[in-house]
Amino acid sequence: MKSPIKNYTYYLLPVLLVILLVIPAAAQKLTGKVTDLTSPGEPVIGASVAWKGTTHATSTNASGDFILNFSDSLTSEIVVNYVGYDPQTINVKGKQSVLVVLNPKSTLKEVVVEGQQERFSSITPTNSQIITNRDLEKSACCNLAESFETNASVEVSTTDAVSGAKQIQMLGLDGAYTLLTTDNVPALQGLATPFRLNYLSGTFIESIDIIKGMGSVLNGYESISGQVNVKLKDPEKTERLYVNLYGNTQGKFDANVNIGAQVNKKWSTAILLHTAQLHHRSDRNKDGFMDLPLNSQYNIYNKWKYNSGYFVSEFGVNALREDRLGGQMDFKKGSEVYYGTTSETERISAYNKTSYTFDGKPYQSIGLISSASNHVFDSKYGNRIYDGNQQNANVRLIFQSIIGHTGHTYKTGLSYTYDNTEEKLGQTEFKRTEHVPGAFAEYIFNNSNNLTVVAGSRVDFHNLYGTVFSPRLNVKFDATKNTIFRVAAGKGFRVANPIAENTASLVSSRAFVFDNDLQPEEAWNVGGSFTQYFELANRPGAFITDYYYTSFTNQIIADMYTTHGQVRFSNLDGKSFAKSFQAELQYEVLKGFDVKAAYKYYDVQATYNGEQRHKPMIPEHRFFVNLGFATPFDKWRADLTTQYFGKMPLAVGDNTHGLEMAQNSKSYYVLNGQVSRAFKRLELYTGVENLLNYKQPSPIVDAGNPFGPNFDASMVWGPIAGRVVYAGLRFKID
Amino acid sequence: MNKLKVLMLSMVLSLVSMATQAQTQNGGPQTIKIKTSAVCDMCKNTLEKAMAYEKGVKSSSLDVDSKILTVVFDNRKTDADKLKKAVTEAGYDADKLPAQERAYNKLDDCCKKDSKH
Repeated sequence: MKSPIKNYTYYLLPVLLVILLVIPAAAQKLTGKVTDLTSPGEPVIGASVAWKGTTHATSTNASGDFILNFSDSLTSEIVVNYVGYDPQTINVKGKQSVLVVLNPKSTLKEVVVEGQQERFSSITPTNSQIITNRDLEKSACCNLAESFETNASVEVSTTDAVSGAKQIQMLGLDGAYTLLTTDNVPALQGLATPFRLNYLSGTFIESIDIIKGMGSVLNGYESISGQVNVKLKDPEKTERLYVNLYGNTQGKFDANVNIGAQVNKKWSTAILLHTAQLHHRSDRNKDGFMDLPLNSQYNIYNKWKYNSGYFVSEFGVNALREDRLGGQMDFKKGSEVYYGTTSETERISAYNKTSYTFDGKPYQSIGLISSASNHVFDSKYGNRIYDGNQQNANVRLIFQSIIGHTGHTYKTGLSYTYDNTEEKLGQTEFKRTEHVPGAFAEYIFNNSNNLTVVAGSRVDFHNLYGTVFSPRLNVKFDATKNTIFRVAAGKGFRVANPIAENTASLVSSRAFVFDNDLQPEEAWNVGGSFTQYFELANRPGAFITDYYYTSFTNQIIADMYTTHGQVRFSNLDGKSFAKSFQAELQYEVLKGFDVKAAYKYYDVQATYNGEQRHKPMIPEHRFFVNLGFATPFDKWRADLTTQYFGKMPLAVGDNTHGLEMAQNSKSYYVLNGQVSRAFKRLELYTGVENLLNYKQPSPIVDAGNPFGPNFDASMVWGPIAGRVVYAGLRFKID
Repeated sequence: MNKLKVLMLSMVLSLVSMATQAQTQNGGPQTIKIKTSAVCDMCKNTLEKAMAYEKGVKSSSLDVDSKILTVVFDNRKTDADKLKKAVTEAGYDADKLPAQERAYNKLDDCCKKDSKH
């Protein structure tokens, strides 16, 4: 029926028509192309492009191209939007064609299925995980320590049986080796370490990013095992009112109120209030000591945000006060007869982040990040007085741009850190003032489809320890769309705070002995991960496995093995390393029913007085299983988390003065569960921690003789309190 | 005769109207279609979730292409105005009602109907 000629005309006619129409109209049209910053040259298909202030919009075609009519414009600006990318406003005055480069959202919202986010990011060059707000609501409220309960990569452990201090662990290393940041500003470092997880209320937090292994050089030289970045509530987006009340059977009560307000078009603010109170003494394991210390905390965070499009600035101020009292049931402050620990902490901190994006160059920006804090505490552990204060200030200037095109981007800048630390332990005083100017650069290469290389290094000029050079490398290779390999390597450096990082030993009869000339810690960390996303029976799943090796060139060794009744701090003389392996599987078994299972293996060793030994309190094997169930739209949710802890070596002195002491802990399981019911504005939740009611038998060594030579409350490897039931409510007005 | 016819007719009519009224009063599911400003699959989820938490809503479904939100509800517990208000509170236009500004600003960027700053 159709002749070839006729067929040609079929195609030619519209083409001719278009050409005829386009030629005279060319001057009145804006043409352009939208591409991806992380995969340069790669078109973004289906992005919406509109004249600012109008409803005249179009979408980009399969090659990322678009056309807009100038006659439809109100201003000379266009707005480009696409799922998972930061929107961009670009001035096209005097231009007839533009290239728009979209930047993927750092908030990793790329995959959203029924309000759930993918927990393993597929786009970051580092091995990253996200604990979403939804995950946070699964665990017993109310501070950062509990936020990791449903996550397998970060562990939280109680440091001792009296003071209630908690620490995180990553890759088998203490929390001190993990860089903690809030909104990417280093936070709660140094002397704040012992109780820092209590200083961020769960209700302040929007989400948490966990980066395993070496990350960027931009945030300083300190991170060795990884970074935990806590994203606090964004004033622009947070609820207008959020109230959370919590109570548990130990007599702990929490109250939180968040208020968010849009002051005007450009300014918004959020006030976050938190208080935690525990005034009930309980001793369920009958060792004469309170299971949990009495506690009273008041914490306020105020954030302001200014957003004018090109300029974005954020201000934050945080003030907190905390009192703690732990010890024997009859202990009162000032008592000499009974053993107890007290601590009073006051902290104030502030930060500002300001960034400017260049007009018409969305890939080019300059940012200034500054923060300052003052931390003061007075504490007493038995007869030992431990007081301290720390003043810290930090300024960073970061410039970001491209070399030629967006396949080569770079970030470079300068930083300056001031840190003044004063500690007093008994009659001994420790003082340190650091001034550290530094410079850093990071280069990011991105081929158009499957390879990202981030190479960075920084040089810092430490007034006490000389020049510090920290190189770091991250490589990400997408073998297929669903198969991703990552490699991370680099060096970290930090000045240890031996007392603050070992407060557990203060709750024992051990004497603190310091060698002269303690040097900064320095370590190399090399590791990699493999991520496989899959779909089985139409349900998404992910398998991830990783291995990291950390090797210290210097470390402050806290030796509790060699001499009984002593913890001796010395520079590493020998070898210290941590090997960490983890495999994790996530899968939605049935609609609304998620399963997460993980296995972890740690081998952490160091040379203690010439002898290579396992680091105490680190189990070799661990399992983790999380079952999550939710009805449509999360009206009902139920969660059950099981954790298995293998045997851990205990730091028992070789000479035990005739006391019978175990060399290893027992293995045990801990189960936590929660059920919640959501209504339009109200959500009720109730849950159980330590469902099996497992308790470490006699967590305190020689509890009956706390001022004697064998007393030790630092060998805590299991739960102290037994089963805890809690309930609470959340009320939100968006 | 004529009068009778008129009477009968009016009786029948009133019965019919009573019946329909009874039907609306006894609820039974009623359906409403609301034209929204939703633009993507994520909006679909946001809106349907917002509807699921509204009193009296049995089910809802957004057709992303036509932007029409179909809500089945119990009219003893809610009404069209309340549902439209709920749509605006979720950040979307509902027929002629504009979206609430703060809710709209909170939306993910992909969910914003072109730019309207």
